[in-house]
Amino acid sequence: MSKLIIRKVAVLGAGVMGAQIAAHCANADVPVVLFDLPAKDGPPNGVIERAIAGLTKLDPAPLAAKDLAGHIDAANYDTDLERLRDCDLVIEAIAEKMEWKLDLYAKVAPYLRADAIFASNTSGLPIGKLAEGLPESLRQRFCGVHFFNPPRYMALVELIPAPATDPLMLDALEAWLATRLGKSIVRAKDTPNFVANRVGVFSILAVMHHTARLGLGFDEVDALTGPLIGRPKSATYRTADVVGLDTLAHVIDTMQATLPDDPWHTWFRQPDWLQALIAKGALGQKTRAGIYRKDGKKILVLDPRTGDYRPSRSDIVSEVATALQTLNTAEKFAWLGASGLPEAQFLWAIFRDLFHYCAVHLDEIADSARDIDLAMRWGFGWARGPFETWQAAGWADVAKAIQMDIDAGRAMTKEPLPAWVFLRGSVHEAAGSYSARDNLLKARPTLPVYRRQLYPDALLGEAPADRGETLWENGGDADGVRLWTRPDVDARIGILSFKATLHAIGDEVIDGMCEAIARAERDLDGLVLWHDAPFAVGANLQQVAEACKAGQFALLDGKVAKFQQVSMAIRHAQVPVVAAVEGMALGGGCEFAMHAAHRVLALESYVGLVEAGVGLIPAGGGSKEFALQAHRRAQHAAGRDVFPFIQQSFQTIAMATVAKSALEAVQLGFAQPSDDVVMHARELPYVAIARARALFEAGWRPPLINRAVTVAGRSGIATCELMLVNMAEGGFISEHDYKVAKAAATALCGGEVETNAQVGEQWILDVERALFVELLKTEKTQQRIAHMLETGKPLRN
Amino acid sequence: MTRQVQDAYIVAATRTPVARRNGMFAHVRPDDLLAHVLSAVVGKVPALDAHEIADVIVGCAMPEAEQGMNVARIGLLLAGLPDNVPGITINRFCASGLQAVADAAARIRLGEADVMIAAGTESMSAMPQIMGNKVSLNPAIFANRDNVGIAFGMGLTAEKVAQQWKVSREDQDVFALHSNQRASAAIAGGHFRAEITPYTVRTHLPGDGGAVRVVERVRDTDEGPRPDASLEALAKLKPVFAARGSVTAGNSSQMSDGAGAVLLMSEAALKRYGATPIARFVSYSVAGVPPRIMGIGPIEAIPRALAAGGVKLADVGWIELNEAFAAQSLAVIRELGLDPARVNPFGGAIALGHPLGATGAIRTATVMSAMQRDPKLRYAMVTMCVGTGMGAAGVFERV
Repeated sequence: MSKLIIRKVAVLGAGVMGAQIAAHCANADVPVVLFDLPAKDGPPNGVIERAIAGLTKLDPAPLAAKDLAGHIDAANYDTDLERLRDCDLVIEAIAEKMEWKLDLYAKVAPYLRADAIFASNTSGLPIGKLAEGLPESLRQRFCGVHFFNPPRYMALVELIPAPATDPLMLDALEAWLATRLGKSIVRAKDTPNFVANRVGVFSILAVMHHTARLGLGFDEVDALTGPLIGRPKSATYRTADVVGLDTLAHVIDTMQATLPDDPWHTWFRQPDWLQALIAKGALGQKTRAGIYRKDGKKILVLDPRTGDYRPSRSDIVSEVATALQTLNTAEKFAWLGASGLPEAQFLWAIFRDLFHYCAVHLDEIADSARDIDLAMRWGFGWARGPFETWQAAGWADVAKAIQMDIDAGRAMTKEPLPAWVFLRGSVHEAAGSYSARDNLLKARPTLPVYRRQLYPDALLGEAPADRGETLWENGGDADGVRLWTRPDVDARIGILSFKATLHAIGDEVIDGMCEAIARAERDLDGLVLWHDAPFAVGANLQQVAEACKAGQFALLDGKVAKFQQVSMAIRHAQVPVVAAVEGMALGGGCEFAMHAAHRVLALESYVGLVEAGVGLIPAGGGSKEFALQAHRRAQHAAGRDVFPFIQQSFQTIAMATVAKSALEAVQLGFAQPSDDVVMHARELPYVAIARARALFEAGWRPPLINRAVTVAGRSGIATCELMLVNMAEGGFISEHDYKVAKAAATALCGGEVETNAQVGEQWILDVERALFVELLKTEKTQQRIAHMLETGKPLRN
Repeated sequence: MTRQVQDAYIVAATRTPVARRNGMFAHVRPDDLLAHVLSAVVGKVPALDAHEIADVIVGCAMPEAEQGMNVARIGLLLAGLPDNVPGITINRFCASGLQAVADAAARIRLGEADVMIAAGTESMSAMPQIMGNKVSLNPAIFANRDNVGIAFGMGLTAEKVAQQWKVSREDQDVFALHSNQRASAAIAGGHFRAEITPYTVRTHLPGDGGAVRVVERVRDTDEGPRPDASLEALAKLKPVFAARGSVTAGNSSQMSDGAGAVLLMSEAALKRYGATPIARFVSYSVAGVPPRIMGIGPIEAIPRALAAGGVKLADVGWIELNEAFAAQSLAVIRELGLDPARVNPFGGAIALGHPLGATGAIRTATVMSAMQRDPKLRYAMVTMCVGTGMGAAGVFERV
């Protein structure tokens, strides 16, 4: 088939999912037409336009930048169907009613181009049945694309072929969904609820069953089924509230109706308390009451025994928690099995039934164990899928324990484990993951798009990732940097990776970067700064705090100077340095990224200069960078006044604003419009290496150091102070906030010099460093640092 | 003030309706608004030979950008006044429009002129920030504690006044509610109709097939007042200027766009053109107060203006006290013992809006209209506080 080009997308249905899928297309710079029924009163597109406007107000934000809403057009089925003829991909996302969907298909079919792809975002209706509602000619270009809520943030898209779907079209669509929308794809069978919801909803039903059986509170269970077992903070019941209890009930009903032969069928029913809540109209977050309810600042939780709410406990700490936090997976399962605590019995039971369910259904619902594990990670935010957890816990021992419970009638059904379970010692191996249907190991998909993912999400038990060839490293296993290459990709582009926890920048990293940059200049064509997220959470505060305590301020001044030298070395290296950013790039991490020749940012990048939170200002060149940017921008602005540009960055730095996407990072000046925004984070090193190569081939030369930066000077500082005086007098900021913010203003304005003075870059670096060290000497800044180290949260003092 | 050679009389006064910032005049230029009221006020005396206008004095608090370049001269030329008529833009912040009236009167009273126009125009929509296009403060302000008040935002000064004069949040909200109720009632009663010269706004909207559609709408009503204002809604608003403060968006003046113009003549000119005077300009006073409590300015200015005119407070039947904030309005009312029934009978800036430099001229039009309506109203006053710490007051006598 010829190359797939998607110039424009139409989304049918402006509900929660439809509007947010449209938003994510806009995030990927794909123009979208969002369709729905015309409004009964007022302008026909009024409701749809309100849905689009609403996208800018949601949290978490569906749009990576607010102005992207302008690329989503509202349209209705009565007057605008002609607009479908421009669309290369049409995604249907209306309510889950077969008749409604088929009606709509009949209505839109005449307007679909012959080469357009038509896809349904249904979460449970059979794709084959939906395809039958289309004219024969369209069926080979129809399939299911099932997004997860919220679609910007949940990686998973299930791709479901109908019987007549063109396999080449599916491959092309998979590549587009991966690279263009940044989604992670699992090919699902056309079985009820597909993969992730089939397993995920069963898991919720199992949790509900054992909650009731053991008489545990919903809040207790949420404390057990959240991060403690590698699942999202919202755990089970809070997730249900967020999803909507009516939606959950609907999915349970679907399972009840469509899976009559499932051995667990008797459990596919709504618990009484859930029915009661829905009958009361308590549907969860959207109705402000569900399993949980907020009463002022107090959070209440439903007590299913009384039907009333009681205060929720957030401080549930048990022996179980300690055990889970300290043991490895195998020890954990052994401990859970042996413990008599109800919480331990609960956890064993929910894992047992989950494993049991997955093993029994593997051949029917998925191509391999890998697809179930990845679907649960990407669609439900689990750190580990069921099969890899089982395997890590010890495949054979756990299998034996499960079968014992089945035989003893403790499991939810008598259905035995399938025979293959006892014939194997694992499901994920170097050669691939087990397919129960074909009884063999299946390797990862080999579509060309996956060559762009040098480090795909790896499952426990799979072949270890290629660590490349180490050229040099320092600092042992948990500190310093590693300079390495992937000779199979580009032997002369180095990759520089930090090793410390959260990639904090300490002395070893600074030393390592100096050496690595020097080596790259000597031996390589370019350098990529990359490691798994986070990019870097900033300077190693522990080291700073210790030096402060010892009163070593001259030493600290020297350290900051060295930090600045590294920033300048990144900027002025004789080879291009490309920063590949994913996740947090804060403080010093942000400064390093800002100094790179070029940035490749994953869309989900959280970038900011947050020094104010610990009573400091950016002094690794960050303040200097903003002064320099203001100077550059003012050169082309009317009046050449640098201050308006300083004012914006002053607010950003004084309020420690963090950009919540790569696009916001560009808007706030942490990244540049010419940088690359990569939709799929796993493509980051591939793109960064290619970018470094291109910069080298384009004849890279480092920029000259600016010796005449026009700065805002004293009037600029005073004008920033105008804001500070009002905030301080109004009681919005403390005296120390004022002091810190004024220091930031002073650095950004190039120090106490006359307005529009011209200074060199080194002067500004000296100003920011001197102010930084002065702040370090203050008691309040030291308190803030100590507080951050102890609690991880900023102190307001 | 007995050295004057003759009296100055207000012959006509008019204004535009006042728009909310970024409201109905969002894309209307302030020089166009000015030209509109200038030609309207001149048109009220058909016999007047426009060549005889000695000067056009226009108040404007942010005289830059769309209202820069000596907007007085530009506005009068756009209004079609003859080339020989000069124009000057003056700035005393919120008192600019009233200062224009006082200065125009002064020229007549000194015998230097027989026909003068005073006006004010302001578009706060046109300003990218409320402090003008480019804010740049003198570092010396922050070097000396005594000067820091210069940098205080107006809302913050209102908080300081509320603290010092012990004006409660509840009292401020009640005052704001009354302002809205009075203004809404006045609009419903058609009481502003006589003083407002409607303005036609042209808007360009996307039309069918990529064409541009032009929509014209005649605007004749103040946009600010909220007839549905309630104490409950006002009480819910969060303080804007201080974390534990009492000044909210609901009990502060609104940012607005608008213009007003006043035609003044000497007795000789009245006779020459057969014009009927509405009022005699009695007196004017302006006084400085500490910048940090700028809202109390009228406490200083009102007694001085009354003394200069030999008028007793009890004889002033209508007081247009600019409601920069409910806090400072109440402090002034209580400190001077003003009769709340006579202060802003048609509501004030909390409801009607406050287009800074235009307000003095606009509210002069309101008191002229009140005098024409009520033969028993002898004295009226326009007064306001002024940013960076001043107060101004002008007294008019019905003739």
